[in-house]
Amino acid sequence: MSVAVQGATGKGSREREQRPGLLERLKRSYAKHWYAYAMIAPVVLVLGVLVIYPLVEGVWLTLTDANSLNSARTIGVNHIPASYKFVGLDNYADILWGPGSYDRFWSHFVWTITWTALCVVLHYTIGLGLALLLNQKLRGRAVYRMLLILPWAVPTFVTVFSWRLMLADGGAVNGLLSALHLPQPGWLDDPLAQKAAAILVNTWVGVPFMMISLLGGLQSIPAELYEAAEMDGATAWQRFRHVTLPGLRTVSSTVVLLGVIWTFNQFAVIFLLFGTSGGSDAQLLVTWAYRLGFGQQPRDYAQSAAYGVILLSILIVFTAFYRRWLARNEQANG
Amino acid sequence: MSTTTERPAAAPTATPAARPTRVRRRGRSSPLATALSHGALILASLVALFPVLWILYISLGPDKTDYLHPGGILDKLTLSNYHHVLFDTDFFTWFGNAFLVSGVTTVFGVMVAATTGYAVSRMKFPGHKPLMWSLLVTQMFPIAVLIVPMYTILSELGLLDSYTGLILVYSTTTVPYCAWLLKGYFDTIPVEIDEAGRVDGLTPIGTFWRLVLPLARPGLAVAAFYSFLTAWAEVAFASTFMLSSDKYTLAVGLQTFVSEHDAQWNFMAATAVLIAIPSSVFFYLVQRHLVTGLTAGASKS
Amino acid sequence: MRRGIAASALVVALAVSMAACGSSGSSSDGKADGPVTLTYWDTSNATNEAPNYQELVKKFEAANPNVKVDFVNVPFDQAQNKLQTAMGAKGAPDVFRSEVGWTAAFAKAGYLEPLDGTPAAADTSAFQPSLIQQAKYDGKLYGVPLVTDTLGLLYNKDLFAKAGITDAPKTWDELKTDAAALKDKAGVDGFWLKAADGYYAMPFLFGEGTDTVDAAGKKITVASPEAVKAVETYKTMFTAPGMAKADVTTDAYAHMMDAFNSGKVAAIIQGPWEITNIYKGAAFADKKNLGIAPVPAGSAGKGGAPTGGHNISVYAGADQAHKAAAEKFAAFMTSAESQAFIAQKNSTLPTRSDAFTADVKADPGIAGFQAVLPSAKPRPELPEYSSLFASLGTNLGKAVQGTGTQDALSTIATDYAKLLPGFAK
Repeated sequence: MSVAVQGATGKGSREREQRPGLLERLKRSYAKHWYAYAMIAPVVLVLGVLVIYPLVEGVWLTLTDANSLNSARTIGVNHIPASYKFVGLDNYADILWGPGSYDRFWSHFVWTITWTALCVVLHYTIGLGLALLLNQKLRGRAVYRMLLILPWAVPTFVTVFSWRLMLADGGAVNGLLSALHLPQPGWLDDPLAQKAAAILVNTWVGVPFMMISLLGGLQSIPAELYEAAEMDGATAWQRFRHVTLPGLRTVSSTVVLLGVIWTFNQFAVIFLLFGTSGGSDAQLLVTWAYRLGFGQQPRDYAQSAAYGVILLSILIVFTAFYRRWLARNEQANG
Repeated sequence: MSTTTERPAAAPTATPAARPTRVRRRGRSSPLATALSHGALILASLVALFPVLWILYISLGPDKTDYLHPGGILDKLTLSNYHHVLFDTDFFTWFGNAFLVSGVTTVFGVMVAATTGYAVSRMKFPGHKPLMWSLLVTQMFPIAVLIVPMYTILSELGLLDSYTGLILVYSTTTVPYCAWLLKGYFDTIPVEIDEAGRVDGLTPIGTFWRLVLPLARPGLAVAAFYSFLTAWAEVAFASTFMLSSDKYTLAVGLQTFVSEHDAQWNFMAATAVLIAIPSSVFFYLVQRHLVTGLTAGASKS
Repeated sequence: MRRGIAASALVVALAVSMAACGSSGSSSDGKADGPVTLTYWDTSNATNEAPNYQELVKKFEAANPNVKVDFVNVPFDQAQNKLQTAMGAKGAPDVFRSEVGWTAAFAKAGYLEPLDGTPAAADTSAFQPSLIQQAKYDGKLYGVPLVTDTLGLLYNKDLFAKAGITDAPKTWDELKTDAAALKDKAGVDGFWLKAADGYYAMPFLFGEGTDTVDAAGKKITVASPEAVKAVETYKTMFTAPGMAKADVTTDAYAHMMDAFNSGKVAAIIQGPWEITNIYKGAAFADKKNLGIAPVPAGSAGKGGAPTGGHNISVYAGADQAHKAAAEKFAAFMTSAESQAFIAQKNSTLPTRSDAFTADVKADPGIAGFQAVLPSAKPRPELPEYSSLFASLGTNLGKAVQGTGTQDALSTIATDYAKLLPGFAK
């Protein structure tokens, strides 16, 4: 599909051999591709104005000591210009190895990685398990499917509050645990239990997407493959291992990548579960960055933006490695 | 972006919704296995359902601290919270705002992205690769990357606390996503259609507008649903940028009930239910397309 | 497809029309003498206080037919942040209820209109001088005191009697003894301290004769030996026999009030703004059951809590017509008559002596807190002072959950050093 199909682009190759001058080449390139450029112009414009420009501005802010006291402000007709100054890479140095950097950055970093890994593993295994169950001929399958995607259907900002009610001290979760004579942790209280609660809620929120995507993947595996395997006398486990899992590879690689990105960037669950001031240990890097920028007085814009840049770098590096790993796997598996 | 899996396009995941689902019926399971499956599914369904039922239950208790003594609600079930939320708060304003912002974001995202999706699907041009790459990377942006610069820029432009500002911010995610997803969809439309258009003497833009776009309607719908739901449920930007009560979206308005010193959980619960009903109805109507689109759009990364 | 286009056209049309409505912002319209619509942000408790303020605002509108007031209740915990955003850009109210701790920072940023010589400051002499002093920054007045408050020890007299206790505890040590007795004899938790909250921790620092910072001496004192002692006492408030365990959840405030109002805990540290809610509680159907005493003292022999309360402040970015109307509004809201009205309705404390009418003084809640007021400590004129509570609260919460006192305090001191360049550690 990536082959050029337009007439305008097709003629190009012969002309190139004449090696015209730079200006000439630009002109030709324009003549040849102007359709394409005209068609991508809206998005390029939007990206340039709404993404690249703020990104550059954001990176610039990380090199300053901008905060809410020295930023530009407009009070009625008066405009007070910004008075922050360039400080080089001080913000990054301070975040990564300044005083208290373990509490402020590394503890949240470790927790963010743990959180991402645990959540994605839980999403995937539970999602796959439910998808396999739903992929059988069962009475009431459609009803189960409807019910199971409910956590995805109701907006997160609603359901997180519901969990906050349920996880409260007198709430439903501890009510159930006490009925079962199990210990009742302070879910929103104790630092470790807070983290467990956050993972619990996010797992609940994220499983339906995995389940439905994997169900789609399962249904696209040709039945003939299973028939052939069965004829070869493969056990259920062997069929799962050698037919189902390989058949899901394309879907899995996609949903895992999406899952990692979404979980790593998850804002609403933590922000709404612990409120603007609670759960300082359970803050992910992204909510912590938000708190620096907008949840304290005075607001530290520079460091908040620096966290943002660090976060994005982590994600880009991860994605690059992930894709390389996928490509290698693909080759290895033919 | 175009290195590994450009070729398979949306095919592997897009198909199941298109053709009637063919379920494997080979290994017929034993009654025990069926019972176990039912058991597991019932349990999972209960877990999925319970939090929603719980907030519905809490919404029927008249006092703000009833959630701490849920047992007591049974004796005093009332709809008074709904009355208060519907008639004494800005609920409908918030609902209208959320609808407006999401709606405009959706229309804008799809309109801006459509031609680009087509161009990157069909044409090779210098800058193709960097463009695809930026579309992908933009989708990974954590909110922390853009929120501070967006805040300072919008503040300078006087666009804080305005619908326009919020729509622009949402467009940073929906536009690249829609372009990405539509590219995947256009890939599934046979090139022969374009060639037929060319034979008939249509320009590339004419081909796109007259022949390809009508065929891509399902793809456009998916992009629209996705954009709408993303904007509808967004919390961070709306909470930070919208300041007056008459500009709040639902995600912000709902939070006003649970301030630290006066948490009116009863009203919060009623509002939550009122939000959940239309949201989930809409979701159920569009979900089949949504699933296809989400995985299809991303599988060609 | 056609239907789709129609729908999108509708959405766009809707957007345009709503944007048009939206653009008639709060402070841009209004001619010199024409009718003016003031936007007022109220931050009082939405359930039990705001309706009374709203009633008062209606009276103002009746008396000033040219001014309409758009009354917006903004939750207190979100208000400072929203104001900070709005006043520097767009969407700010013309006049608002400003917590006393915000004044200096907002004034320094240039957000507040000086009120000296305006109708708003017409009878400042009637107000309690320390409150006027507290509303000043750099010699100018930036707010008119609306209500004042401080923290006190609120207790359930019935439960205390059941445990054989006659007088409210005077020191933290006495409180511990009482709590153990309450648990033993009355079967309830003796005391619930709001954990992980800097504001509610201040009495412990004051009790040891120290503060977070020494504003005059430009010194961070939060890690001083006195502060260490204060935090050690603070920690025992959650572990000693009869104490409620530390609740650091976001909903802790609601939990605490629910437990106290329903008689499950015998004493709390709290301010007068909750009194009307407390009277609604099952345990306080008889108002006389509520005891109000000064916060217990530490080893320095004296107790104390920060002076709280709220001013009415005017936004500097509003236009002349709105400012003039806002100043009139501030004067009205803080008049003796208005304050007496609010005091009786909300059981909050007026800021001027002539508002303490016989009826007001008859309110047991007000009478109780009036006795506590003299021990309140005024806030230093340091713009960053109220920002100091956040780190204090978070880290004390951690100290309660097991971090060492010394570690917690030095983390706070590090945070303070960032907020206060030029202060010595």
